[in-house]
Amino acid sequence: MPLIVIAEDEFLIADVLAMMLEDAGYTVMAAPHGRAALALVREKRPDLVITDFMMPLMTGLELARALRSDASLSAIPIILVSGAQGSIGRAHPDMFDAVLDKPYHQDTLLKTVERLLRAA
Amino acid sequence: MTKNLPRFSTGIPGLDAILGGGLIEGASYILQGHPGAGKTIVSNQIAFASVTRGRKVLYVTLLAETHERLFQALGTLDFFDYDQLGTNVTYVSVFQTLRDEGLSAVVRLIREEISRQEATLLVFDGLLNARDRADSDLDVKTFVAEVQSQAAFAGCTVLFLTSTRVTEDSPEYTMVDGVLELHDELIGVRSVRRIQVKKSRGSGSLGGYHQFEITSKGVTVFPRLELALAEPSIPDQERTGSIRSGTAGFDRLLGGGVPEGSVTLVFGPSGTGKTSFGLAFLSEATPEEPGLHFGFYETRNRLLSKARALDIDLERGLSSGALDIIWNPMTENLLDKLAYRLLDEVRSRGIRRLLIDGLGGFERAAIHPPRLVEFFASLTNELRAIGVTTLATWELRDIVGPTVRAPISEISSLLDNLVMLRNVQNGPGYWRTVSVLKVRDRAFDPVVQELCFDAGGPAVRPIPPNLSSAPGETTGPSGI
Repeated sequence: MPLIVIAEDEFLIADVLAMMLEDAGYTVMAAPHGRAALALVREKRPDLVITDFMMPLMTGLELARALRSDASLSAIPIILVSGAQGSIGRAHPDMFDAVLDKPYHQDTLLKTVERLLRAA
Repeated sequence: MTKNLPRFSTGIPGLDAILGGGLIEGASYILQGHPGAGKTIVSNQIAFASVTRGRKVLYVTLLAETHERLFQALGTLDFFDYDQLGTNVTYVSVFQTLRDEGLSAVVRLIREEISRQEATLLVFDGLLNARDRADSDLDVKTFVAEVQSQAAFAGCTVLFLTSTRVTEDSPEYTMVDGVLELHDELIGVRSVRRIQVKKSRGSGSLGGYHQFEITSKGVTVFPRLELALAEPSIPDQERTGSIRSGTAGFDRLLGGGVPEGSVTLVFGPSGTGKTSFGLAFLSEATPEEPGLHFGFYETRNRLLSKARALDIDLERGLSSGALDIIWNPMTENLLDKLAYRLLDEVRSRGIRRLLIDGLGGFERAAIHPPRLVEFFASLTNELRAIGVTTLATWELRDIVGPTVRAPISEISSLLDNLVMLRNVQNGPGYWRTVSVLKVRDRAFDPVVQELCFDAGGPAVRPIPPNLSSAPGETTGPSGI
């Protein structure tokens, strides 16, 4: 089972996302902000990371930078899921493998996850 | 020695005034009200206004609602700016931190975020949730105290939003520097939004309820006029000149025209010619002496056809820009909003001749009519100080009644001049009469005359002897 780490401060979104991915057969671990997510990624070495942008302590962009600068983690695909900051994400194509604007459709997300895992 | 605390503007029209000059830098406030009262809009409007002044805002929520949904709702308001999100206004949820690690972890997180974001305004939405989580009042008190002292240390102002009623004995209430309460109540059948500053440390706030509205521009607060203009905005000046009334022969009765900068009440029952008398006054407007019709009853077109029928020339003034007509439909109005609109128009256009047709339009908008005396006092004081010469009409309710009553006794004394219009019965018909009851500080002619609307516009002339000699023939509205 591929492991996916979710970085999302809003529990409702995190819960819905986790359920959606679990139903699709993935193992999911969630962190309430970027810093907790970074610790989780270092510990669990997931196959993919899905992150929000605006979060306490560490934004999605800061999380992506931290992962990309760590040689042992830099290959993990990262999806940015964001409402207002999609454009900031798209301005950093080296940081994010995909950028989805909220609200996104379930199928779009699952297909993106599938595509990135296959490519990896 | 008094010291002024440094403050910053909320960016919400009218709110700074009732707070005594804006929010105090580094202070903390509770903003409370029922769901739907407008807390989120008020706090976000302050946030986005702060950003335009170079501040950074941290918006921390403990809400179940997603931020995306909040942005969708706020997206309908002019002040909301998507481009500021994530850079100058950052929304973060600490719900999971609270759930998993408790209040003290939330305090630590907020402290770190304030310095990380270099925020000078913190909005904390969901004090109610923090309270549910706390084991005792002491915990919430500690939480509020810690958040506000962390924020104050960083020079950051805090707004705590809560839907619960924080009462005067609540621990939070004693901690914060100010408490703002938003109300949305039903009065009769109408919904009324009001704001109250319930606690304000170290500042002269304007107490009591102030009405506000929420439109696509966001929130606008209308401070109660009698408090906001307790003293006129500029000192009153001595004025001795007069301007023409526009009704032929009437200036003589007034002792030489309408005293400049005075307020004249023209009252009488329906159909006695109050509006026509007022239109004649406005027909004298010139580009040097601009006029304004601030009315509630007739639209511009109706006024124009009335003026044409009575041979009163409004077209000249309207086409030259010397005259304008503002119609406030007498639907659901906000009393103070009407007054601010009137004063703004008078100030910005440099109006010298003003017709308010009539004061009843303000009266109908009053949710709490007993304040009307103070309201009119502040309004007329301001108009006098500005130097505009005002005619205001007041319709008497009884078309036929046993006596003539002054509209409201206190109001009559607030006005400089009183002009009474009446229908006087003479045999099978009625005559319109006019008489001056009062002109402040000036001799006038108290004689009753006929008010005629012939070719050439309104005029007064002596009453035929048969009418004046038959007072017994007159019915109620005429009898003094």
